[in-house]
Amino acid sequence: MLLLIDPRVEALRNAPLNSWIALSEDESTVIASGATYEEVVRESERVGSVDPIILKTPREWSPISL
Amino acid sequence: MKLPYKKYPTVAGGVDLRAICPVYIALTARGAVRSKKIEAVIDSGASNCIFHAQIGEAVGFDIKAGRQEETYGVDGKSSAIYFHDILIYMPGGQITIDGAFSYDMPVPAILGMRGFFDNFKVTFDPTGQLCEVERIYQA
Repeated sequence: MLLLIDPRVEALRNAPLNSWIALSEDESTVIASGATYEEVVRESERVGSVDPIILKTPREWSPISL
Repeated sequence: MKLPYKKYPTVAGGVDLRAICPVYIALTARGAVRSKKIEAVIDSGASNCIFHAQIGEAVGFDIKAGRQEETYGVDGKSSAIYFHDILIYMPGGQITIDGAFSYDMPVPAILGMRGFFDNFKVTFDPTGQLCEVERIYQA
């Protein structure tokens, strides 16, 4: 079976859990992570990212029911 | 607008798909600072649009000054949410809604019935693995 590696999925799989993270504009790389939204915004600005996408990682990658 | 489902890893090594809309939020005041782009889960099971309070505070909302209500998750637990007029920027335009903030969110944002599904026709397409969202205007 051919398994295609998705850069976004791999980036998320390797990201710190239970954290805020910023992904690069192409969503292939975690460019910042931290305990708070503001921490991640500051760090993403420090590395020069113009338009990152911010999300929260869970305690573990289980399916969610909100 | 067509929004391809976003992929998330699972503990079992697989992939989970979610309908996600990238949004920015801001106060409704002219010239207000926008948030960074955040991933909002499109969730027809949610009564309201709810954003993480940390994002609101970062762009100037006085969160606890808003109208307080209780909301219940699928686990039956209640938590306080605080309503404000929120300007949302999304692909295709912008909209002001009566949305809420919560300090107790596992995701940055959810887009629910009031504020999102009453302003957009939403079609989930499992074959194309995308969600199509079209603005509607009701009298």
